[in-house]
Amino acid sequence: MIGRQMTGSSWLHRLPAPVKLLLLVAGGAMIFPVTDRSLLLVCLAAVLSLYASLRVEGLRQLLYLRPLLWLLVFFLGLHGLAGTWETGLSAVLRLLVMVLAANLVSVTTRMDDMINAIRPVFAPLRWIGLSPQKPALAISLVIRFAPVLLFVYGSLSDAYRARTGRATNWRLIAPLALQAVRMSENVAEALSARGGSRGLARCGKDTPQTGRALRLSTNEKG
Amino acid sequence: MAFWAKGRSVSAAASFDLTVKTYAVFEAVSLALDGKTVLDGISLALSERRVGIVGLNGSGKSSLARLLNGLRLPTNGKVRLFGADTVSVAAQLPRHVGFVFQNPDHQAIFPTVEEEIAFGLTQIGHDRTSARAEAVGFLRRHRCEFLADKPIATLSEGQKQLVCILAVLVMQPCILVLDEPMTSLDGLAAKRILQKLQSLDQTLIMVSHDLSALTGFDRILWLEDGRIRMDGVPGDVLPAYAADLDRRAAAEVWEGDGL
Repeated sequence: MIGRQMTGSSWLHRLPAPVKLLLLVAGGAMIFPVTDRSLLLVCLAAVLSLYASLRVEGLRQLLYLRPLLWLLVFFLGLHGLAGTWETGLSAVLRLLVMVLAANLVSVTTRMDDMINAIRPVFAPLRWIGLSPQKPALAISLVIRFAPVLLFVYGSLSDAYRARTGRATNWRLIAPLALQAVRMSENVAEALSARGGSRGLARCGKDTPQTGRALRLSTNEKG
Repeated sequence: MAFWAKGRSVSAAASFDLTVKTYAVFEAVSLALDGKTVLDGISLALSERRVGIVGLNGSGKSSLARLLNGLRLPTNGKVRLFGADTVSVAAQLPRHVGFVFQNPDHQAIFPTVEEEIAFGLTQIGHDRTSARAEAVGFLRRHRCEFLADKPIATLSEGQKQLVCILAVLVMQPCILVLDEPMTSLDGLAAKRILQKLQSLDQTLIMVSHDLSALTGFDRILWLEDGRIRMDGVPGDVLPAYAADLDRRAAAEVWEGDGL
């Protein structure tokens, strides 16, 4: 999620999370071999029309994707240097369509629904004694903190401009990475302070339990 | 502990006694982090409903607070919460001792307020459906139902901190430990958060640089270089601490971690 979570009850919100994720995977697989730029432009128009179907709030989400443009320009520039403009344009269009589609799914899906939908993929981890909810949580946390990292990048960029008068450059990558590592430590600590990820194991099972009466085993993994 | 690793496994049975008056006991506790001693020989017993912790940065305040929630375990000595050694019951402590961090952006895990509150409920055993319904009811009881559907990223700093406090309170802890919860807030938001905290039934243990926020507390611990320099009622400790700050600020040479 690069944009902000959209709350609401649009048709995309109502579509079950597993269906959205399956469509996303299927769409990604179908678009992967496409190199025809006309066809890619049609796909781009299609995904933009999905944003438009969510009206003003949906279109506003596109504004949050502005930082992505720099990345796409960077890719295009690399292809330009290699003399493969046309291939680069196709790759950039494909990437844009996929990122837009993925972002649309993440901003219209509750995170607990997302974790619930992702967890079965990691079910085989149980065979080697690992917990499936942990990687599901990890992916969800990446989604949750993408906008926070963008905010941090914006702050670093402002600080750099304030002292140099120049636009952002590659030097900010190192401090951004350091801040991301520090933030991940803080988030891990905050999660531990609330009992770790064990509650997520109950997200998918609608087995009623009385919260106050629950006593957790000291051997419980968390 | 690494994120992918299994949780700490201990053999001792949990033995909380939530009825004891002296809820926390430190027995000659020392804590070393990265080879550096951050707490050194702390012994104290806490039974007051409102305990404040003051001291300069690096004095050990946050480490002391984290020992109460099991986020840190002592290098030497013992910390007992409700009669149980925190080494044996670290996995259960978050259920009884809530912890609120300084920066809400580091604490809120979920994108929307309702999901953040519901997560606390799943932590204490609710299933997803009942957690969602109860989260909305909980927000309503705290007159915050208007926040339920809001993305946390769009809230003011004061609202974010309020949500973080509620997300911990929903787990019904007996003790709430707060590590400088008002540092990032403006004056109005800080006052509102303080009012909210003062209205709570829970025992509060709050680290703060804002001395005025601690005047109504029952007991103040002043930490310096990992040791308790003064321990007493706010009327005695806070003026002494403020005078020490003035003395240090007036000194010609910068001392310690003065900047």
